[in-house]
Amino acid sequence: MTATVTGQPAAARVTDAVKVYGSGETEVRALDGVTIGFPAGRFTAIMGPSGSGKSTLMHCAAGLDTLTSGEAHIGGTELGALSDNRLTLLRRERVGFVFQAFNLLPTLTVAENITLPQDLAGSRPDPEWTDALIDVVGLRDRLRHRPAELSGGQQQRVAVARALAGRPDVVFADEPTGNLDSRSGEEVLGLLGSAVRRMDRTVVMVTHDPVAAAHADEVVFLADGRLAGRMAAPTAERVLDALKAYDRKEAGS
Amino acid sequence: MRTNGSTRAALRISLASLRAHRRRFAGTFTAVLLGVAFLAGTLVMGDTLRASFDSMFGSATSGTDAVVRSDSVITTADDAMGTRRPLRTDSVLRAVEQVPGVAAAEPGVQGAGQLVGSDGEPVGGQGPPTLAGNWMQDDQLNPYELAEGRAPRAHGEVVVNRGAAESGGLKIGDTTTLRTPDPLQVKVVGLATFGGEDGMAQTTFTGMTRADAERYLMPERGMAASISVRAADGTSQEELARALDAALPGGIEAITGQEAAEENLDNLSGQFLTLFTSMLLVFSGIALLVAVFSIYNTFAIVVAQRARENALLRALGAARRQVLAATLTEAAAVGLAASVAGLGAGVGIAAGLQALFPAIGFPFPEGPLVVGAVSMLLPLGVGVLVCLGSALLPAVRAGRTAPLAALRETAAETARISRGRVSAGVLLGAGGLATAAFGAGAGDPSVPLTATGAVAVLAAFLVLGPAAAVFAVRALGGPVARLRGLTGALAQRNALRSPKRTAATATALMIGVAVVSLFTVFASSLKATMDETVARNFAGDVAVSTPGFGAGGSGLSPGLAPAVEKLPEVDTALGLGRGVARVEGSGRELTVADPARLPRVMNLGAVQGSLDGLGGDGLAVSADQAEDHGWQPGSTVELAFTDGQKQRFTVRAVYGTSELTGDYVITPEAWRPHRTQDSDSLLAVTFADGVSQGEGKAAVEQVAERYGSPEVQTRDAYAQSAAGGIDMMLTLVYALLALAVLIALLGIANTLTLALHERTRELGLLRSVGQTRGQLRSMVRWESVLVAAFGTVGGLGLGGFLGWALVKAADSRGTSVFTLPPLQLAVVALVGVAAGLAAGWRPARRAARLDVLRAIATE
Repeated sequence: MTATVTGQPAAARVTDAVKVYGSGETEVRALDGVTIGFPAGRFTAIMGPSGSGKSTLMHCAAGLDTLTSGEAHIGGTELGALSDNRLTLLRRERVGFVFQAFNLLPTLTVAENITLPQDLAGSRPDPEWTDALIDVVGLRDRLRHRPAELSGGQQQRVAVARALAGRPDVVFADEPTGNLDSRSGEEVLGLLGSAVRRMDRTVVMVTHDPVAAAHADEVVFLADGRLAGRMAAPTAERVLDALKAYDRKEAGS
Repeated sequence: MRTNGSTRAALRISLASLRAHRRRFAGTFTAVLLGVAFLAGTLVMGDTLRASFDSMFGSATSGTDAVVRSDSVITTADDAMGTRRPLRTDSVLRAVEQVPGVAAAEPGVQGAGQLVGSDGEPVGGQGPPTLAGNWMQDDQLNPYELAEGRAPRAHGEVVVNRGAAESGGLKIGDTTTLRTPDPLQVKVVGLATFGGEDGMAQTTFTGMTRADAERYLMPERGMAASISVRAADGTSQEELARALDAALPGGIEAITGQEAAEENLDNLSGQFLTLFTSMLLVFSGIALLVAVFSIYNTFAIVVAQRARENALLRALGAARRQVLAATLTEAAAVGLAASVAGLGAGVGIAAGLQALFPAIGFPFPEGPLVVGAVSMLLPLGVGVLVCLGSALLPAVRAGRTAPLAALRETAAETARISRGRVSAGVLLGAGGLATAAFGAGAGDPSVPLTATGAVAVLAAFLVLGPAAAVFAVRALGGPVARLRGLTGALAQRNALRSPKRTAATATALMIGVAVVSLFTVFASSLKATMDETVARNFAGDVAVSTPGFGAGGSGLSPGLAPAVEKLPEVDTALGLGRGVARVEGSGRELTVADPARLPRVMNLGAVQGSLDGLGGDGLAVSADQAEDHGWQPGSTVELAFTDGQKQRFTVRAVYGTSELTGDYVITPEAWRPHRTQDSDSLLAVTFADGVSQGEGKAAVEQVAERYGSPEVQTRDAYAQSAAGGIDMMLTLVYALLALAVLIALLGIANTLTLALHERTRELGLLRSVGQTRGQLRSMVRWESVLVAAFGTVGGLGLGGFLGWALVKAADSRGTSVFTLPPLQLAVVALVGVAAGLAAGWRPARRAARLDVLRAIATE
């Protein structure tokens, strides 16, 4: 099955992506020929059972990991050709990250954490944009606090603000709600959704939670390192059903 | 059985954890290894040197069974060997020869004689004695053996020990000058060895005919320093010495050859062996002290990082004691392994030094290394104890881990600094400063009081360390953050994360830097004091000085002063000689000079009484001595000389300034009847009016050439030569302290590595959001530099203060000058910061190589 780019040009894409870990008997093909584009201005969720390669796909698409073969692009830039240094610069200028946990530097304040990528680049953050972001994530009264003084949900909201602060081409979120209670999770997902819909950002999120996936415009399913299907306008029920179907298929094969 | 089992469990756990975290203990291992190696190397080298000298003296003096000499000896504070009264050779020799059991007896004439090498430079004289004496006819009595050539037979012929000949570039058949101190033209006819070696350590020896020796080395003919005696078969050394003692007149004693050899050996080892080894021991102590901080830190961090692991053990039923034992066992295992390796390295160091010393002209006698039980067991025990002691506190903390901690996310260490700690530190510091300042204060300095204060200040530094770390890193890090932007700010905040850890890491370096600055400050103050002493005391234009007999060299010819004074360029040339006498029970150095002319070349300060016409029974004394003994002009004092004579002197003058002049001045006329070998130790010259420095100096140099070419020094050069040995000593001290700094550096590197390990996820995050490898390396290095800078600044402050306290406390006269040499201290500061940069290098590289994904995923 091949992915079709729906209308918009892809903010990030991989072509014939293969990722192999180990060699010989311990060889694992985490990605086995995946081609997919993540359209700009859309919220895409990647789902699949453990070991399906969903995290690997995200890491390779984001330039955190390199492909064994195939190509990965952010906008018009091919990542495989970049040195570690160019890749790092690309990440801080054109990619935002939200991880499952430990998103913030404990020694920096909330405000400093938000502008971390720009500070690393030595560039001046856009004050209006940063200001607007701070209001959107609702942390104006916490700017001088350290991460340890925030709740888990607040910490993830700071992480979202940080990911969006540099107006990146694409934000990658890796199980951003995995460590949160459902209310905090809703808030974070709402933020990611409004970033796409109101601020015209692009978000790619890995998750195993159908409720989280339902916030996306489209869900992409992976199984055994291959693209297994996609679903537009997902709801939690439909996603759950689809997952069960893949599970059954896997058990049957 | 149960205890046994639980101990075994603790052992198993600790060994498993050691295996798993070998890298964490690399720093600890190296620190202990270096400290132990240094200690063991020192002990082995000391033992080996002592054994070599023992066997050297044993074989050199094996033919001498007894030594007969005067029992009248005067020792002074500066000369522990003392000056012994010479013997009347003929009468004593006759008496000795009549004692039954004596097979042979020969007088030994001994004095100072310095050879001039083929390049015109004097041979030796930089510490070890330069001896001259008669070449004994009896092969067995003569401690030297003829290695080449022949014995001296005629006037001016000499045998020289091979070591001295080599360093002076002299061969058989060469003619040169021997300063006795009157210059004597000599021809080398033979080369000698001592106990199979090229010389008695670095002592030089020139053997001449007995007639020459008596003429040039003794106050008059027919005298000798001692008489060496060989026993007939069947007579033991003790029997011989007893028989001699009984037969000899009062005032003359006989000791066995064995005792004489030991005395010589003691003098030699007392002079440098003991000093050398005890200095090395002090430095290995400093190195181990520095190691303690590094080791403590390693264990503190490891225990903190392992809190959850330990809590799990506790939750599963491990007793507090078992967790403690597991940590201590780990420490013991590291300590033992490192100490054993250190012992090996120590023997290697000793072997290396044995090979290296001869290459730099220091005769380290050949022979097997003496590896005694003490030199192995002591460092081994110290190494293990240092490791255990340093790990004790962290181990107790590990034992206290609450089982519940397993379930919590725990912070690595508490970052808070208790207010009690700060108050205690401030109190201790203030008290210490006040005590030391009071102790070292003007008036009557008290060494114990100053030392107590200094120790309190040191303790305050340790107690206040964490608080000081916060303060210092904030202050030092400010510019770094401004300069390096976010990278600098991150480095600063990382260094501030655990102030206790930062303090302990920096303390190791601080101690090293403190000792370095202490020595630097002390040495420069000593030099400044010398400068000022000369400036205050010396009123002449040029000086000719040579080290006295005790410090090698042979002094100046008494003929030099009158010859120089004949020069038209010269107004006054006054020779100052040295003598000894016992004054009210204790040996004192006398200055032999014409007091009437002394004020022309020396500033004597305020003078009470008159310096003119002291004659044969007048004495001038310093105000200090006058005050101590309650003398004033007109008092009478009894002086006892080495020749056994006692004479009453009248104090005719009391003078104020005595650093260069000495405490007692008598006229040459009064000294002549009691004199030993004639020599002056200082010639002070003032030029006639209108004579320039250059002209005058050139004229004096021309005359000096005829008297063995002693160096003519301007006032500045004289002041510098008076402080001469200090720089050489300082170089050695720096070399030894480099070890302590190296260990401190390892400590910083180790702490940093462990801390980075702790922050793996953070590093992963930083890298993923766009920190380049270069930025990460720079961040780590700056953190290291900040910690090192804190340690360096603390060390400079502490060292400067201790230096000041030392200078002031040791200064009972109130004449010492305290100076802070800016250039040297800047170099020390630079080296400290560079050490931080170096320490951060490897951890930074390793951290930068981290795999981003794996780092993020780390638990």
